Amino acid sequence: MSLKNILENFSYFRRDAEMGGHHEYEHRFGMAIDLDICTGCNSCSTACYAENNLAVVGKDKFEKGQAMHWLRIERYWDEIEGDFPEQGAKFIPMMCQQCGAATCEPVCPVAATYHTPDGLNAQVYNRCIGSRYCSNNCPFRVRYFNFWSYYEDSWPEPLNMQLNPDLSVRDKGVMEKCTYCIQRIRVAKDTAAREERTLVDGDITTACQQACPTDAIVFGDTMDPKSKVSKMWAKHQIHRGPVTQKKDKANGEVRGYRVFDELNVDPSTMYLERVRDTEV
Amino acid sequence: MSNVKVNRRKFLKMLGWGGAGTALAGCDMPTTVTLEEGKEEVVSYLMPEEYVIPGIGVWYASTCTQCEAGCGLHGRVREGRVLKLEGNPDSPINHGNTCLMGQAGVQAHYNPDRITSPMMRKGGSLQNVSWDDAMAELSKRVGSASGLKGDRFGMVTGTVSGHQAVIIDELMSSVGSKNHYVTEVVNTSVWSAVCRDMLGDELPTLNFDKAGVVLSFGADFMGTWTSPVHYMGEYAKFRKGKRGALIQIEPKMTLTGGNADLWLAANPGTEGALALGIANFILDRGWNVNDVPSSVRKSLQQYNLSAVEKVTGIATDKIKRIASMLTERGPALVIAGASTENHENGYDSVASVMLLNLIMGSVGSTIEANSRFPEKSMRAKQGSSKDLLLLAKSLKAKSLDVLFTYNTNPSYSAPAVLQLDEGLSNVGFKVAFSMFPDETTVKADLVLPIFSGMEDWGTHVAAYGAGEPTLSLQQPLMEPLYKETRGFGDLMLNILKMRSKDFDKFADYYGYIQTAVVNMPANVVGSVTGDHADMWTNILQTGVIKAKGEKGSLTPKLVEMKYKPQQENAGYPMHLIPSTGLGLWDGRHANLPWLQEAPDQISKVVWGSWAELHPKKAAELGLKNGDYVRVTSASGSVEAQVYVHKGIHPDAVAVPVGQGHTEYGRYAKGRGVNPMKILNPLMERRTGELATYATRVTVSNAHQHGKLVHMGGSEIQMGRKFVRTVSADSLRRTEGEV
Repeated sequence: MSLKNILENFSYFRRDAEMGGHHEYEHRFGMAIDLDICTGCNSCSTACYAENNLAVVGKDKFEKGQAMHWLRIERYWDEIEGDFPEQGAKFIPMMCQQCGAATCEPVCPVAATYHTPDGLNAQVYNRCIGSRYCSNNCPFRVRYFNFWSYYEDSWPEPLNMQLNPDLSVRDKGVMEKCTYCIQRIRVAKDTAAREERTLVDGDITTACQQACPTDAIVFGDTMDPKSKVSKMWAKHQIHRGPVTQKKDKANGEVRGYRVFDELNVDPSTMYLERVRDTEV
Repeated sequence: MSNVKVNRRKFLKMLGWGGAGTALAGCDMPTTVTLEEGKEEVVSYLMPEEYVIPGIGVWYASTCTQCEAGCGLHGRVREGRVLKLEGNPDSPINHGNTCLMGQAGVQAHYNPDRITSPMMRKGGSLQNVSWDDAMAELSKRVGSASGLKGDRFGMVTGTVSGHQAVIIDELMSSVGSKNHYVTEVVNTSVWSAVCRDMLGDELPTLNFDKAGVVLSFGADFMGTWTSPVHYMGEYAKFRKGKRGALIQIEPKMTLTGGNADLWLAANPGTEGALALGIANFILDRGWNVNDVPSSVRKSLQQYNLSAVEKVTGIATDKIKRIASMLTERGPALVIAGASTENHENGYDSVASVMLLNLIMGSVGSTIEANSRFPEKSMRAKQGSSKDLLLLAKSLKAKSLDVLFTYNTNPSYSAPAVLQLDEGLSNVGFKVAFSMFPDETTVKADLVLPIFSGMEDWGTHVAAYGAGEPTLSLQQPLMEPLYKETRGFGDLMLNILKMRSKDFDKFADYYGYIQTAVVNMPANVVGSVTGDHADMWTNILQTGVIKAKGEKGSLTPKLVEMKYKPQQENAGYPMHLIPSTGLGLWDGRHANLPWLQEAPDQISKVVWGSWAELHPKKAAELGLKNGDYVRVTSASGSVEAQVYVHKGIHPDAVAVPVGQGHTEYGRYAKGRGVNPMKILNPLMERRTGELATYATRVTVSNAHQHGKLVHMGGSEIQMGRKFVRTVSADSLRRTEGEV
């Protein structure tokens, strides 16, 4: 990026994050997850194992924090004085938030993690040297490092026959993470191209979204104003770019929020607050 | 698949070897010869098998066999391999969704510990034999020449339905035996018995979407209650719109409890008293509810607030709150599950719970008559733990000579005190139809390896049909992985052929099903029309046949409430809760690595057993997370690491069912403990079900510590606001009726 380039195209480079910053986006995929109907059942997580060739690491490695669950359900208890958690538990599916201003991207010494024209934080396995800077910099802790050659014993024959040929099995020394099921995005794009049309909402379903027994996960293109996810973002007054705090919203009562929005990372996943019936 | 001419698996092998052959061409090898079987042609990618487009996945409809709910599936098949399972959107049970157990179905199919050859017991150990030898032995023991007749023959299975139920019935009637034991540890037998007696319908349709408030006494409808995926879908509807409130009463927080608006732990076994207390309070207030006969009214009077508080440990203001929620927020739906059903007074407790439905007028609104599958013989035969007790009894009495086992593992599930294993050794000839070397299978005299759910044909009728009775077709998603495995239906048909000529007209089970399905009367096949070939194609494509149901009617009947308190058990102060969950279920999924690594929804523990204790009790015993605790009943003891949390009654210890396998392959064997083994042989008084929640135990510090392997470093959010919350009021203002 030469100075000449910057000066000549100044208005392009100083675009707001809402406009995509200096990216030329084709799509900006995003999610909306309703925590009120998410039950925390783990179906999405297991579907992710099935779709994305996630290695099963076993008890010892799990203990060391080396599990490879790209999508995990976190469960939190309320900090309560009383003897019983009368309002139940809190569950949240946590996966890569595909940040618009991702903290993982600029720290990669070899540009193995980069921003795609679809708004995804992609990981180039072949380029990754395993510095783990990205993982260290991720506030969501959703990047998973291959400390071992898991393929050696995660899929004893014939379990290996289940592996999805649409994506690779990763080897030792490589960072991996949720891709918003990029292989499914590719298939949908190819199909649309073959049928000589543009992508429409509903062409792509991620594995987690597909499995969810309560349909709590909605996925789509946030640049397409007609998509369900766009409509949900709009309804809950979440927009691209930095911080959308409650106080900045026209109606502070709407439920949408993004985790760690205050860090200005522009996550692509919007959560809807868990509802609690305080009268009960 | 009798009519498929090309062997898909062989085809794949040829592709692989063909490549090798080409590579060797430089060594003067004729390129037209593949290394495999000396075949003289190479099939190139340009001439793929019908339907196989390299690189493109094709979806086939089938049915999930991971639990009894009968969800419809779509399986993705690519280059002859099944890769991924998704829900069938046409299924009225799961509407295109699946649970984690359904997702892991492929791991049962591709499991590295599958049995790949028939085995016969020779000189005390199981040894591989040929199918010819196995079938010859079977014919000798159960064929027409064997003279096998009457009740000396028994069969034990899990829940069966569809043509599988029919063909098992054929075998039972051919032998003239009534001893078909249908065992399930995860069941709703007591609930069904109460529904039958008080509503006139064993499994009425529950309309969560119409309910304003759901009061659940231990019914883990998101986890293990009847049809979890279906109910989770219904739950989503219930939460949207006017947003119903969920109140859960149970001694140990289940997944459903974790999602409740109000979660309360009544003293274990006193749920019935609480229900009666709520009923009494509502009737006392003279709120606008259905009245009850004076005899019933009278029997309720002893359940005044202070008496109920004393018995149940639930504060009076809470009881009042629940009562007012039921009346103000209705329509109400009141349900009961495992922790209420499986006590000695389970029936009475569930009947007390049902009383609330009757006085709140739920019958006809949130509870409706089930629409039954029209063909009676194909309806689900639901498993119960009563049959497990009956089986143990017959075995002990040496009243069985030949026993077939299929799709159930009584040797794992039965409490040790029932001495089921010893009883099994009394049976002269045990045949296991099994995919895996589980505890029951390894004790068999003849082991017949069967197809996985992804290799076999079948039809399923869900016990809970969700108001739309459906025949769900199970079709193979790929060629069998192993040459030496057979379909269960095929084997049943073979055995029937050994006994009678009536079945000779069916070449195989596929033919049997196909003939039966296309010839079914119009009220069963419903909208599927056309000639037989068209019909069959249509059914294969959609995977479901929506039948014209027989809608019954509910006939509510009030009975005098005879709730009996639990017996005190001096010397064993604690209640043992053998909890079950969506994941390992009753232990059948302990051999699937994805489910072992999927953290338990509440404790988040992976790959092992744990014991849940309340912080009060843990402090009393000087225990913290990861310490080992010894749980001792009159029938035995187990040791497990403690997980301390507040979502459990202080007088209860929960040890999950699922682990503690002594067999069952590399992922399950020798991992954790099985609480079923230390249960006392107590029965629910009215139904004869095993009272799994009635065992009393002592808990002691085993003075040993290890790291509790579970997900997450922190149990609380530490102010980080990952999960934010909002009040229901605010939701109604902003989103309102959707």
